[in-house]
Amino acid sequence: MAIYIVKRFFMMIATILIIATLTFFLMHSVPGSPFDEERTSNPTIQANLEKFYKLDQPTHVQYFDYLKSIATFDFGPSIKKPNETVNTLLARGFPISFELGMVTILVAVISGITLGTLAALRHNGIIDYSAMAFAVIGISVPNFVLATVLIQQFAVNWNLLPPATWSSRMHMILPTLALATGPTAIIARLTRSSMLEVLTQDYIKMARAKGLSPVRIVLRHALRNALMPVVTIMGTMLAGILTGTFVIEKIFAIPGMGKYFVESINNRDYPVIMGSTVFYSAFLVFMLFLVDIVYGFIDPRIKLHRKEGDA
Amino acid sequence: MKKWLTFLMVAMLALVLAACTANKNAGKEPGTTKEPSTNEGKSEGKSEEVVAAEKVLLLNNGDEPTSFDPSIGFNAVSWSALNNIMEGLTRLDKDHRAVEATAEKIDISDDGLTYTFTIRSNAKWSNGDPVTAGDFVFAWKHMLNPETASPAAFLAYFIEGAEAYNNGDGSVDDIAIEAKDEKTFIVKLTSPNEAFLNIITNPSFFPINEKVATANPKWHTEASTFVGNGPFKLMSWNHDVSFEFGKNEHYWDADVVKLDKVHWAMVNDTTTAYQMYQANELDVTGVPSEIADQLKDSDELRVDDQAGLYFYRFNTSMEPFTNKKIRQAFAFSVDQEEIVNFVTKNGEKPAHGFVTFGFIGPDGKEFRDTVGDLVSFNPDKAKQLLEEGMKEEGYTELPKVTITYSTSESHQKIAIALQSKFKEILGVDAELQNVEGGVFLSEQKEFKYQMSRSSFLHDYADPVNALESFITGSSMNRTTWSNAEYDKLISDIKNETDENKRWELLKQADKLLMEEMPVFPLYFYNSTSLEKPGVSGILRHPVGYLDLKYADKN
Repeated sequence: MAIYIVKRFFMMIATILIIATLTFFLMHSVPGSPFDEERTSNPTIQANLEKFYKLDQPTHVQYFDYLKSIATFDFGPSIKKPNETVNTLLARGFPISFELGMVTILVAVISGITLGTLAALRHNGIIDYSAMAFAVIGISVPNFVLATVLIQQFAVNWNLLPPATWSSRMHMILPTLALATGPTAIIARLTRSSMLEVLTQDYIKMARAKGLSPVRIVLRHALRNALMPVVTIMGTMLAGILTGTFVIEKIFAIPGMGKYFVESINNRDYPVIMGSTVFYSAFLVFMLFLVDIVYGFIDPRIKLHRKEGDA
Repeated sequence: MKKWLTFLMVAMLALVLAACTANKNAGKEPGTTKEPSTNEGKSEGKSEEVVAAEKVLLLNNGDEPTSFDPSIGFNAVSWSALNNIMEGLTRLDKDHRAVEATAEKIDISDDGLTYTFTIRSNAKWSNGDPVTAGDFVFAWKHMLNPETASPAAFLAYFIEGAEAYNNGDGSVDDIAIEAKDEKTFIVKLTSPNEAFLNIITNPSFFPINEKVATANPKWHTEASTFVGNGPFKLMSWNHDVSFEFGKNEHYWDADVVKLDKVHWAMVNDTTTAYQMYQANELDVTGVPSEIADQLKDSDELRVDDQAGLYFYRFNTSMEPFTNKKIRQAFAFSVDQEEIVNFVTKNGEKPAHGFVTFGFIGPDGKEFRDTVGDLVSFNPDKAKQLLEEGMKEEGYTELPKVTITYSTSESHQKIAIALQSKFKEILGVDAELQNVEGGVFLSEQKEFKYQMSRSSFLHDYADPVNALESFITGSSMNRTTWSNAEYDKLISDIKNETDENKRWELLKQADKLLMEEMPVFPLYFYNSTSLEKPGVSGILRHPVGYLDLKYADKN
């Protein structure tokens, strides 16, 4: 196990380095610069700005500076927000995205698994049909549409909840709902289908024959095996939701991390692109790593270290 | 096995707790600043009480201000705030004219080169310090310092020695600005400039409290350290979420300021902002383009002129637009009225010349009206010009034409309208090319497009600001067009001290530009907004910055 973890750790570092390098060269190969704007482009002004951000240096010098900045995790000032360093932006944005993401994931996991399990237990019954109808709608309605509808109903028409911004707990409810619906639907469907499969297995019949209570059978025996596919998608889902979702954050004016990803690319804000990409990829790689570890806990048949040894 | 299950449960529980703790912190941190808005959010009754006690205007800035360092924050998201928490020597009045502000007296020498400003004795910073001539010298030199890398510095190139210092050739001591004494500030220009008093209404010419800035170079990054001299003071700034102004009791003209507070949200999505407006969480908001049509006749709609225009550039080095008549033919087949009425549908004025409305000449007449329509829809003329142009060039078939625009739904709609007009009138099958915004701007500057969209917004209120874009080699030219006569006209305009003659030259320049047609205009910009009944006195200038000094809310 320990060997596996160490190996995986070095793999993670290598992956991040490759991503970082690719990002750097892709970014510089895209035409345009942070200072291309419609209004001014006085050559003197441009030269002063380039010097300030060290963009007048040759590409390889910039690349090594950049590697250094990854190693020290200090990405310097943002170009579009000269008062702020990339670190400040990430430190400010990430906790907010994380908080929203965490709540969203909890809501999605709890309601998704519950719905999916109920649907499987009442296969082809009313609960099953309504749960799956909800799931189909949840998957097919994009969250930005849902967000706008939620604001219109709850905030504008019924005046129950604040429409947007990030100031109190009440402000969290609508974005959480908008964000959680999709993942809830996905988890519900996955749980339902694998649950149906598991419920037909011999060991479940065996458990029933032994006279165990239905609740115990479902919770202890069936659900545990049925959750494997859910755990598989959790890694990417977590990384995606926790690091910010641009559209929802934009609609609800949530000062999270999502907008830095998207806006920095539109603005060619090089330090922010690099900082946020490295951060995001590190997070994603770490989440995938966690999922692999969790597999081992949930399904004892998967022996991580032996698998490594075989290969 | 049981162990693992327990572990998972505990892990889940820990995450829930972690989320809750994060929650509390997030609630606490902005707690001090958020108090008013939380109140407003909670119940209608409570928010009315607050309004009755004090006047709080609820606005939306759309985004985090780039910077409150007046030399750095060179864009609308910074100006809307800066113009109200700081003040320059002059300020635009209700008729968009630059009048005395921090300066109470302005003397201009006979040759129009030397400006002597006397600063009000009661002009004070929000911390009580007097505003001195030295604060202006400090701020302007800070802007021109190449190490500051101020995007606004080019505006100050009218000042003797400014450009040389900014591009590294000259010394800071050679800039012709001087604090003669505590309250007297003297500036010498390179050539007479009618627009100078207007130019210095731009926030980049605002003073900086030298004492505060020397002690703490990061003074402008937080509300607690920010010191301004405007009608309002910065009370709080919760980065990326909101900021709040309070009335500045040290302001020299504090008696006319009616609002007690201004709360600024930062909501980037126009639809959300509109929904907040409907839920009474904003008093003023922009008009979402999707429902502009429905709101056209609303009583709350407010339309203001904005000095600037939407236009298209020809690349005069790329066939077939090397030929003047072919350029004209394309321009005359465009129906500006049709575009504003059926494509943009935002109540803009169609553009039939390059200089926008809003410039009044020495004869008291509108520039645009006296010059008249220089280019307008004329299918017969367009067809004839195309025929003549093709004959001149010896074309039997017109080289392929591509219309390039940057990714955006509105640009696309306009490009499609042009494409169909070229087909209908000239029988030309033009291709459309959609390019990502950043790539578009950089490739347009490298002259890679045959015909491409563009826009211009004035930096200062004078027609020459728009016209000088097209002198040979200007970074705003981007058409490769070069015309010696035009270059001379612009340089004459800049050196002419007689206002009547200067105005004549400006008219000639506008006509020549529309005759040579390296660009063709589509419409003049406006700014549309919705204002709740009871809100009044917000000033919006064609060239200028949102002004809340006289704003009121009842």
